Amino acid sequence: MIVFDDVSLSFGRREIFKNISLELRGGKIIGIVGANGAGKSTFLKLAGKIIRPDEGSVTFPPEKKIAAVAPEMKIYDGLTAQENLFFFAKLRGKTLSAEKIFELGGRVGLDLKNFGNVRAENFSTGMRQRLKFAILLSVDANIWLLDEPTANLDDDGREKFFNEIQAAKSDKIILLATNDTAEENFCDEIISLPL
Amino acid sequence: MKLFLCRFEQVAAIVRKDFLIGLRRRATFAAMMMFALTAVASLSLSTGGIFVEEKFLAALFWVVIFFAAGAGVAGTFDDEAQAGTLPTLKLYADAQAILFGKMIYVFLSLVALTIFILPIFLILFDVAVKNFFLLLATIFFGLIGIAAAGTLTAALTASATVKGGLFPILLFPITLPIFLPAISLTETSFAGGAFDSSSLIVVAAFDLILITAASILYDYL
Repeated sequence: MIVFDDVSLSFGRREIFKNISLELRGGKIIGIVGANGAGKSTFLKLAGKIIRPDEGSVTFPPEKKIAAVAPEMKIYDGLTAQENLFFFAKLRGKTLSAEKIFELGGRVGLDLKNFGNVRAENFSTGMRQRLKFAILLSVDANIWLLDEPTANLDDDGREKFFNEIQAAKSDKIILLATNDTAEENFCDEIISLPL
Repeated sequence: MKLFLCRFEQVAAIVRKDFLIGLRRRATFAAMMMFALTAVASLSLSTGGIFVEEKFLAALFWVVIFFAAGAGVAGTFDDEAQAGTLPTLKLYADAQAILFGKMIYVFLSLVALTIFILPIFLILFDVAVKNFFLLLATIFFGLIGIAAAGTLTAALTASATVKGGLFPILLFPITLPIFLPAISLTETSFAGGAFDSSSLIVVAAFDLILITAASILYDYL
């Protein structure tokens, strides 16, 4: 469980959050919705302890392991798709075999038998998003932070993504920030942020 | 030391990743090697036939290493920040593993630079090294210090807007306590004679201080 206790945050004079207290529990997909500029991505950063609140506190489960798919979380263009997967899994103590990498590719609809040795810089935006998604699935994590995760994905990619997070939600805290109606409808619970 | 608290496999993965990208892009290594080669060659040509004192040669060697290192080390964190991969790396790896992974990568890059430029330097300036072991020990400890100070300075300047000018300005005073004894020891290795072991201890001790300080400070960046 992630607990926001009386959290306030401002950027300069602009107040983003004031005295927010809430509990984010695992086992369901929690949607974070709101207009542009409402603070959805900032909320995810607070929930991931990527930034700290000005006041109040955010507490986490004892074993906090975060994985994320977000526009500002880039992958390494200079590495191949396989090397990216291998690298990020290794950072979390897992060694991926070639078979496991191909299997992950299949789960996200990325043909890593043919494109595994291609550098990420040569991937299309949608393929990069699928690769980020494969990295998410490959690393050991109990908190998933997803910021507009199906952006740039086609219908097949979206379906695969929704199936995977549905299957994974039982033992994870999943926060999904979105403006997309399909993504919003997929969530079990919605937190709406006012502008 | 916090190094022992971070996972070694994370450090090794970061070093491997940086080398893969560095060798593929080549720009950083090429900049370091070309700067060192150009500096050594032009200085050698301009002093051709003139006797150059060992003290001057020793200082010249470390000046070349310092500026060539600056051409490559500054990008250690900045390249990641520019590419947008730094937030991803920080999310998946421990802060200390990032610092020590980068530090080891910088150190190994400087070793490669030295392996490349040292024979050229010795040949072009016609230096007959009298104490090769001392020279190697001095280079080893000197490069550790430059790697530690350079990595921390690169982390500090990654978010600055004028990092190109800021990096050498910040790096120079931090590395000065290493350069002065390193130059003295290098001179002794060129000229021969008894060397002051306390100078080598000073360089090694300052390396340790820099590594510890970098480890403590990096958590606050």
